[in-house]
Amino acid sequence: MRTLLKNGRILDPSQNIDMVGDVLIEDHQLEAYGSNLDVADVHETYDCTDMWIVPGLIDLHTHLRQPGFDHRETISTGTQAAAAGGYTVVCCMPTTQPTLDSPSLVDYILDAAASPSSGGAFVQPIGALTVGMKGEQLSDLAALKRAGIVAASDVGSPTQNSRVMKRAMEYCTQLDLPIIAHCEDLELSQGGSMNEGPVSAMLGLRGIPRSAEEIMVMRNCLLSLHTGCKLHVTGVSTWGAVEMVRQAKYLGAPVSCDIFPHHFCLTEEDVGEFDTRFKVSPPLRTQVDLDIIVQALNDGTIDCIASNHSPYASHEVDVPFGEAPFGISGLESALGVTLTHLTHKGILSPLETVRKLSTAPATVLRLEGGTMRHGETPVAQITVVDPNHRWRFDVGRTFTKGKNSAFHGMDLQGKAVVTFCGAEIYRDAAFPDSRVATRARS
Amino acid sequence: MSRNLLGIRHISAEDLRELLALGAEFKRRVLRGEPLPRIPQQTVGLLFFEDSTRTRVSFEQAAKYLGMNTVSFTGRGSSMSKGESLKDTILTLRHERLTTVVMRHRMAGSAQLAARYFPGPVLNAGDGEHEHPAQALGDALTILERKGRLHGLIVSIVGDVEHSRVARSNAWLLSKLGAEVRFVGPKTMLPSHTAMLPGSVHYSLETGIHNADVVMCLRLQKERMLDGLLSSVGEYARMYQVTRQSLEYASPDCLVMHPGPLNRGIELDDDAADGDCSVINDQVENGIFVRMAAYWWALDKTMDDLKRVAA
Repeated sequence: MRTLLKNGRILDPSQNIDMVGDVLIEDHQLEAYGSNLDVADVHETYDCTDMWIVPGLIDLHTHLRQPGFDHRETISTGTQAAAAGGYTVVCCMPTTQPTLDSPSLVDYILDAAASPSSGGAFVQPIGALTVGMKGEQLSDLAALKRAGIVAASDVGSPTQNSRVMKRAMEYCTQLDLPIIAHCEDLELSQGGSMNEGPVSAMLGLRGIPRSAEEIMVMRNCLLSLHTGCKLHVTGVSTWGAVEMVRQAKYLGAPVSCDIFPHHFCLTEEDVGEFDTRFKVSPPLRTQVDLDIIVQALNDGTIDCIASNHSPYASHEVDVPFGEAPFGISGLESALGVTLTHLTHKGILSPLETVRKLSTAPATVLRLEGGTMRHGETPVAQITVVDPNHRWRFDVGRTFTKGKNSAFHGMDLQGKAVVTFCGAEIYRDAAFPDSRVATRARS
Repeated sequence: MSRNLLGIRHISAEDLRELLALGAEFKRRVLRGEPLPRIPQQTVGLLFFEDSTRTRVSFEQAAKYLGMNTVSFTGRGSSMSKGESLKDTILTLRHERLTTVVMRHRMAGSAQLAARYFPGPVLNAGDGEHEHPAQALGDALTILERKGRLHGLIVSIVGDVEHSRVARSNAWLLSKLGAEVRFVGPKTMLPSHTAMLPGSVHYSLETGIHNADVVMCLRLQKERMLDGLLSSVGEYARMYQVTRQSLEYASPDCLVMHPGPLNRGIELDDDAADGDCSVINDQVENGIFVRMAAYWWALDKTMDDLKRVAA
């Protein structure tokens, strides 16, 4: 069966390709791309005029919640949300119950993700760095890696003990397993629920100082430098953290980092009157941080954009600010927010946009994907993006169970409209039937 | 129609003047035994999720003067302690036919949350470290009685400003009505960012209360020592205790205030607490009258409405 994506703008950062042309998918495999492909026996033709055809997006920071917190999200709903957001791969965090620190749980997640009820995107699990994410004893990382984890992380319960972290890095260097680090000094952030600054002072909320993040970014970067461990810092939010990463790269440490969409377009002032939708970790910072972050996205210091998809049930969020959980459900807004606030403002070129969302994440964790090269992925992972589609993000229309979003009601420009993930195809209403031509099988 | 008293920060100077005028008028009537309006169809729910005696009594007294029914709830033994969310508690009370909610809660912004789910007036009786508006109104009425004005006065708030809802509400109220507010205390107890708070920062008691017309002490929570904010209570007292001696730096007829409960010998010495300039007891009494004003105002009634209630 042949599917032809016609006349789109093909963007492949892995080969620096930016051209108008066609993409041929044959038997769910990416077969060829080029200008004016001459193909016979095409079953379906997608008219991609004025749209982008890009390698499927890859998310390095997704919380799928299953097992243990199925009321927030399941692998099925989470992968549907991913496909709707243009993602073909999500790397899921070990924040499950029990924690993802044993090979049998990796099997469980991979099985659930592969089941027919699952919703499209591929799932790549991230294992807990330490048992129970307690920061004490290393998980059986070799066994976990054999079972299929692509990285190790203690995410929201970051290892405080520097000796444990050094040992973890030494061991992961041996295993050639990247560590993803959410960087937070829990003593400094204790009790805090938003950025320590004028707004927290006004609202009488305990602040999370920027140093809580920066100290740990610096520690982890230094440990990476000295151990040679591949370190990916997730969710930088302060100018200081960005400068630490820049310095670490300059010194030759194998360090990369990502940023969440809310950290390049929102500030502490958006918290308004205790709006828990804006409670995130790390917290929303200031305009000064935004200015440096935008530069760092532009100059490549910030490698990737990650969704930080953190779904919660409504009743968990509709509580006083200090009691609310940190996080927003980001899979279905990340691309639109990135296009609106970075690409259309000229901060990232279309090619660099796709690099941050697909090619660079693939490179960081050495995943298949992030490229249009023939044979690089077992099945086609391709996303069609309408960069100019204007829409309003509405949590009432999302696939995720988590309706907690700072972007609810925000006007966006640009949307993933078709996501090909092997045999799974998600097509949005913004890609109308009139653009799809189906030839009856003979 | 009704309105909420969630915090001073949201209230205009005009409304603050109205509230203070109402408080003064209620006081006059109560002290002279003149007739008071009665609001019989109202049932006030006093929700105290955090321990409080004086604030709860004060709101209850004020409600009784106005002929309103009151129902008391405390955190312990209530549905909240059985795991009910604040939202569900508020929805339940709404259907228990309460008409006004007075709430104290340990989380900042909880009054805003309650107001989203309660149709009638919500009066904030203290939300975390955010606001305590009725306290500030009582304090302002006390200052007004003694000084005749707020505009142009220098008011120094001494102590743990960072963690004080009393400090925040007072700072907003006094600055909105033209007073100069100073925050005085150790660096660990003052907000590190004051760009969005209406006060200047002073680490020395002497300069902080220099020429002050009012010195307002805050209660020192001794558990703050555990947070490392203080080396010792003794050190704090040596540096920031308001005494007859330190009051030499303030203006000669400087008022001494304290929201209570007092830690004698820490925030204040006996001379300052019991001296002629101390208005601590007036603060308590005026608290009742401004709470009457708060109920009245929240039910969207004006001074004219009050004046129509004659003998």
